[in-house]
Amino acid sequence: MATELMPGQKRFTAGTILADVAIVGWFVFSLFPIVWMVLLSLKTSADQTSTYFAFSPTLENFGTVLSAKGEALTSVNFSHALITSVINCGAAVIVSLVIGIPAAYAAGRWKYRGSNDLMFTILSFRFAPELMVIVPLFVIYNQIGLFDTKVGLIWVLQLVTMPLVVWILRSYFEDMPAELEQAALLDGYTRRRAFVMVALPLVRPGIAAAALLAFIFAWNNYVFPLILTGSDNSTVTVAISKYLGGGGQAYYNLTAAAAIIGALPPLILALTIQRYLVRGLSFGAVKS
Amino acid sequence: MATLETHGLTTSYGKTRGIEDVTLDIGDGEFFVILGPSGAGKTTTLKSVAGLVDVDSGEVAIGGVSMTGVEPYHRNVAMAFESYALYPQKTVSQNLASPLRSGRTGRYSEEDQKRRIELVTTTLGINHLLKRFPRELSNGQRQRVALGRVLVRPADVYLLDEPLSHLDAKLRAAMRAELKQLGEMSSTTSLYVTHDYQEALALGDRIAVLREGRLVQVGTPEEIWHRPVDTFVAKALGQPEINLVDAVVDHGVLRTQGDALEVPLAGDLDLTPGDHARIGIRPRDIELSRGAEPLADHLRVRATVQLSERLGREIELTVDAGGVSIVAVTPGAHVFDEGQSVELDIPLDHVHVFAAPDGDDPEADTTRLGSAIVEHVSATSGRQQP
Amino acid sequence: MTTTVHDRDTRARRGQRPRRGGGPPTVPTWRRKLRPYLLSVPALLITVGILYPFVLGAYYAFLNYAAVRPNPVFVGLDNFKTVLSDPIFWTSVRVTAIYALVATAVETVLGVGIALLLNRSSLIGKVFERVLILPLMIAPVIAGVIWRLMFNPQFGILNHVLGLGSTFNWLSTKTALWSVILVDIWIFTPFVAILVLAGIRSLPKEPFEASDVDGASWFYQFRRLMLPMMWPYILVAVIFRFMDSLKIFDHVFVLTAGGPGTTTRTLQIGAYEDSIINLNYSIGSTYMFLLWALVFLTARYLVSVLGKAQKRAAGSET
Repeated sequence: MATELMPGQKRFTAGTILADVAIVGWFVFSLFPIVWMVLLSLKTSADQTSTYFAFSPTLENFGTVLSAKGEALTSVNFSHALITSVINCGAAVIVSLVIGIPAAYAAGRWKYRGSNDLMFTILSFRFAPELMVIVPLFVIYNQIGLFDTKVGLIWVLQLVTMPLVVWILRSYFEDMPAELEQAALLDGYTRRRAFVMVALPLVRPGIAAAALLAFIFAWNNYVFPLILTGSDNSTVTVAISKYLGGGGQAYYNLTAAAAIIGALPPLILALTIQRYLVRGLSFGAVKS
Repeated sequence: MATLETHGLTTSYGKTRGIEDVTLDIGDGEFFVILGPSGAGKTTTLKSVAGLVDVDSGEVAIGGVSMTGVEPYHRNVAMAFESYALYPQKTVSQNLASPLRSGRTGRYSEEDQKRRIELVTTTLGINHLLKRFPRELSNGQRQRVALGRVLVRPADVYLLDEPLSHLDAKLRAAMRAELKQLGEMSSTTSLYVTHDYQEALALGDRIAVLREGRLVQVGTPEEIWHRPVDTFVAKALGQPEINLVDAVVDHGVLRTQGDALEVPLAGDLDLTPGDHARIGIRPRDIELSRGAEPLADHLRVRATVQLSERLGREIELTVDAGGVSIVAVTPGAHVFDEGQSVELDIPLDHVHVFAAPDGDDPEADTTRLGSAIVEHVSATSGRQQP
Repeated sequence: MTTTVHDRDTRARRGQRPRRGGGPPTVPTWRRKLRPYLLSVPALLITVGILYPFVLGAYYAFLNYAAVRPNPVFVGLDNFKTVLSDPIFWTSVRVTAIYALVATAVETVLGVGIALLLNRSSLIGKVFERVLILPLMIAPVIAGVIWRLMFNPQFGILNHVLGLGSTFNWLSTKTALWSVILVDIWIFTPFVAILVLAGIRSLPKEPFEASDVDGASWFYQFRRLMLPMMWPYILVAVIFRFMDSLKIFDHVFVLTAGGPGTTTRTLQIGAYEDSIINLNYSIGSTYMFLLWALVFLTARYLVSVLGKAQKRAAGSET
């Protein structure tokens, strides 16, 4: 079956072979650290500093990291951090969806006066330097007791999740043909029912993409939990960074295991929404 | 079933005007067509009646009840959209069931719904497609499903937005005939919108011609065809377009360039010698001369053939009459050579006289003054076929 | 066809006749017009709620707020004078500028190159496309941890594989900035590549087919056709990368914490040191105020460039 060529594509020639070689080069660079991490996480403590590639693998590091034994060794409560991350990010995304979907719908379907201003203000959160908001929040949270709490972090994470949710969904709502809802109105459904019956199913892929992408970025966020949480509610990212700190014995293999556990959820989620990734990453600017 | 009235409907979108001062008075059960080029405001008019578009001023009344502030789902109006607007995640049968399930078009048991859907889809010839999704259907099938969604429930008014515009020519002609039969069948007040004059003439009890948001003329097909109110309406109907030739009043006669046409002036036209005017002749009103003498009440024109095209059983002739090109379409299978002389006869009551355009814009449309023969305006009621 | 579509029974059964003495229910126009605004109120509230600390943060720059001075007073532009005359601040500006410019430039070139290569490649490209995204989805801080382990002179894999011996220090005063930039490139080049690749794939085929028929070479096609149409996508990627690298923090912090000395002290890390470590909130806020001004101006400039490029790209399609 002859596939149609994209612009700039040529059929199998010397050019494509060179292209393949160059690509392999990049991917060696790109994947090598990850591969090495995996290997490191499978090494026993004895092997971690003595060998490079030849060793007998073990899975016990993962268990250690998640258990109390790991905490004893490294003073990092990893499994607690993991749970905290799940709760914080999940809740932050849900809040953003509940608030963002109506706003995105209003801005996408009717471009009411001021919708652009609101949208761009929300977008500016994504580009604003985090510390600008962290410093006052650090002070405020300490005063009102939101320091090192889940609620405090969920609120701050809106800076990360809401722009994504609102902009991605606005792009989907803009693309949605208005006449479908109008047909539902004439069929006898109120606007609310028409929205649920017609609009939501159409933007379902957008909602999934926005939610998962927002979760990924919230999960990967470091600077907010670093400064605004202490030991009770620190997240996975902070926990992993703690493995490196301090004197004492370095547990490289445990660090690697923790890093992999911490990196896994976003990777799995990203593979799920691969189709919608580009539109999400560019906040709806680029539609693939 | 209800009458439909609009009074002075005016809409705007941002700074651009949509429709302006559209006033219609449509009778109960009437099949009313709005004809106009794209962008004229036809869809806007429909959506204003449906309540889907905000109206700046003016009012819509259905069955005598004002619809100001009434939401679309309370207006008891059904609409077939130009884009079909079929729910993509629902099957054809679910699409058709949708209006029946909302509760606002009546209470229907499951059986009732099934029965109605069966009836409508059989009538429209799509009852084998009930389990398909819209993306699996052809344009023609989608159009019928959209129509089915309108017919499956009772309504005071049907609104049909260019339902045939995305079909190929053959299908369009076939669907036109079907729509005519369906229209007579359902006897629901219908507002039908199109840019195709043939659909308008074939289907409409009355036609309104819309241009850039304003109504130009409202009348029966017969009135619009034979007594267009201006050159715009005259040009809008008929393919090829009506011939428009400049002429000057001279000795009781309208004379065109090169003396090719000499149209005797009827008394009621209010033109003085030296005035300019425009003569309008539809291509199909022109006949090839048969006898040596022109028939009574006919205008004889001598011309030379510029172009001759065979159109099946008709010929389209472009002739030069005194330096002016005229297009004629006559039945026949003759072969004409370029440069050949012909004689044409034109019935005087089909010769239209229009005002001359102002000096500024020779392309502007002008009002119709009358015909070459004093018109006996017959008392045609709104419903009779021409 | 003799079937009628509606009979009198169903019409009567409609059950929704307007009430006697009143018509169908009406909704006043102002309520209809209010709907979009009502839907947006929660988002507006949160936005205001988030803007408040921003404004407060900006305000701190004009106070002398610190942990040791819990009751600050207004000091006008004093902080700005202090910060702008502090050589360490300007070091941070230099570090951030170099970082942003180099990282963005390299990532753009590499990313476009990878996108073009993936576009031309055969089977291998399809396979690797799926894993292109990987480094981007790993938390930058985790990437920093990974590379820190790799950079380890004795036990890290890099010195071993590259044969640099066990003393080559990737994070010395000479090398730290470049190593940190290298990690940035590792993480974020896929972002550019993915965006540009999607852009390439969305280009219309006709102009290229036409120029193929005309016998144009690949380079000609690239320069005259592809590049102008690709500009908007490349620019979107550049805008995102440049603005993000101005405020880079995560992996730099974990790799070097701004050191050694001040060689990798980006503006946000500098602000962190002042605000959180030294607890001098106002000075930190001043840093951030200046950084934010920089980001804002850059954004406006870049977005206008993007607008022009989009117009040019649309024009070149006709």
